[in-house]
Amino acid sequence: MNLRAIGCNVGSAPVELRERLAFDADKLARALAELTARYGAEAAVLGTCNRVELYLARPEVGAPVHSPLVAEYLSELHGVPAADIYPHLYEHADDAAVRHLFRVVSGLDSVVVGEDQIAGQVKDAFDVAQRAGATGPLLNVLFPAAARTSKRVRSETGLAQGQSSVASAAVGFLKEVFDRFTDKTVLVIGAGEMGRLTLTHIQEFRPAAVLVTNRSPERAAGLAAECGGAALPWEQLDDGLTRADIVISTTGAPEPIVSRRRYDEKVRPRRGRRKLVVFDLAVPRDFDPRIDDGDRVSVFNVDDLNRVRDQQLAERRRHVAPAEQVVAEEVAAFLTDWNRRKDGPVIGALTEEVGRIREAVLAPLLAKLNGKLTAADKAQIEAAFRLYQNKLLHGPIAALQEASREGHGPGLREALMRLFGLK
Amino acid sequence: MTVSPLQGITHACFGLSYLLAFALETARLFWPAAGWRVAALALGTAGAFAHTVYLTVNQPTPAAPYGSLLYLAWVLALFYLYGTVTYARQAWAVFVLPVVIGLVGLSLALITTADNAAPVSLPAWLHGDRFWGAAHGLLLLGAAIGISVGFVASVMYLVQARRVRNKVNPAAVVPMLNLERLEEMARHAVNWSFPLLTAGLLVGTLLLRTDHAAPENWLSVKVLSTAGLWVVFGVLLYLRYATNVPARRLAALQIAAFGLLLVALAASHPFVAGGDR
Repeated sequence: MNLRAIGCNVGSAPVELRERLAFDADKLARALAELTARYGAEAAVLGTCNRVELYLARPEVGAPVHSPLVAEYLSELHGVPAADIYPHLYEHADDAAVRHLFRVVSGLDSVVVGEDQIAGQVKDAFDVAQRAGATGPLLNVLFPAAARTSKRVRSETGLAQGQSSVASAAVGFLKEVFDRFTDKTVLVIGAGEMGRLTLTHIQEFRPAAVLVTNRSPERAAGLAAECGGAALPWEQLDDGLTRADIVISTTGAPEPIVSRRRYDEKVRPRRGRRKLVVFDLAVPRDFDPRIDDGDRVSVFNVDDLNRVRDQQLAERRRHVAPAEQVVAEEVAAFLTDWNRRKDGPVIGALTEEVGRIREAVLAPLLAKLNGKLTAADKAQIEAAFRLYQNKLLHGPIAALQEASREGHGPGLREALMRLFGLK
Repeated sequence: MTVSPLQGITHACFGLSYLLAFALETARLFWPAAGWRVAALALGTAGAFAHTVYLTVNQPTPAAPYGSLLYLAWVLALFYLYGTVTYARQAWAVFVLPVVIGLVGLSLALITTADNAAPVSLPAWLHGDRFWGAAHGLLLLGAAIGISVGFVASVMYLVQARRVRNKVNPAAVVPMLNLERLEEMARHAVNWSFPLLTAGLLVGTLLLRTDHAAPENWLSVKVLSTAGLWVVFGVLLYLRYATNVPARRLAALQIAAFGLLLVALAASHPFVAGGDR
């Protein structure tokens, strides 16, 4: 195996550098074409907001692509001095590169341990590379194996369970209250970043309508257009609250914008028996917490959501060790499988060649003894020659398999091919 | 005369199966493992099978407390199996199985010598002068199933509502059906039960009048509690559709209705021959 995983992530490089090394679609296509052409390597590029990594595999007999070379290439592609890039790059070789990819895809190397977006991002990176014709024998088996590892980690450990962000914690609570979302209306009050993020999560469940209201009509219209919703004039906030099933509030108002009295007088009587879930993500809070009646109306503030997220992250950390164990098993299984794939053709050719020699020796002998041997004698002689062949080959084959397991396979494979004249 | 092995099935067979299934389901809440669930489901299925065989072989009359409670328990056992398979990840069995076990236990407590008499074959209930009695019983049994389902949904609703009110981390507890689904389940239970209960009561009233029942029969515990049940359900329907009463109060009222149902089922029937039959 001649594999390198070279790149930088949130732990090794500042965000300013990662931003400058980000790949857009054009740069990605160009990089995949150039890496394969220039270095004769299989290539895949994984670019997320937290990492930029190149997976490069070359034929075993060739020299590996090292990080200085990659730094130079990235410098050329992105117009960033190589001296600024190189100190931030890490390089994992062969088995360590396999392990690194398996840890990455499982969320073990993520800022939020166990986050599941990375599995999709790794899959996308492989799909793009494959479509570009940049993958080959190694990456074509490595990335599917990584996907299997990710699935195993997620199904056999609790690493990916629960909510890992404030937005996903909000969705977790929503699922405790509502059964379906296609008949629900979401009201967004304000235009805070956390509100947008929470709305993005909720929109995955395809709510019937999204209403956006803001003191600034322009900002309301902007966010409404962005999320495919409708802007609601600020003066109609009470109407919006009456129509909504889910409210996300993130204004910067210094006082609560919805007091208990306002809600009880202008909203509650018009809502009937419908349930309302309010995510008050503003600090100071936008909703009087006493609106929460423990029945029809539930109000969650940012502390409630942070608490759930923190509990869940702590819970996930308990599952890191079992997840690492799964990764270790999958790395070992992958290496065994890879070595078998590499040794298989050599062992096949060796067996065929020695079998051909056996036939070449045996055929004249049997011809010479023709008429003097019974069919049983002939069979016995043939069996003895076959046994001899097997005993002769047992040592070299076992040695090759052991060498592969220990990482010295290429040298011995080469030696065997030369010794026996295999092609 | 040969005795089929199926005739050897007793209350203990299915009662203990349900009890063990419940114990395993409860254990699963504290020590989650797939094995518990499979074992619990196997025991629950075995219990439901034994229960079915027992009812088929013995055919207790649904007109008596013993029979009606056993039939109701059997339907709820099937409801438990359906829910356990459909809502595999949810805490379902721990809410339904106690009701099943309780009904089986109550039926045992109310068994009389008449219940051990030779069974009356089911077809005999479907014609002749017994038809209206059977119709009355079946309608009320249908209502009782709805009331029991409503009870389970209401208990689950209160537990889930408490979790939401206390903002309990959903990932840290055993999953349950959401409030919207539970409220729908409870509402449907009322919607189905009320017409069945009304029709059953009407048939029963006509039967009492036809039989020129004694005045004390009209004031028996069974008749009064069933009539009370009808009133409670009427109130429930009114509160649910015509007012803005908190859902938790409706759930509490539905739980109370189940208590009334138990009284009605446990009480002796005023006009079935033989006192209890």
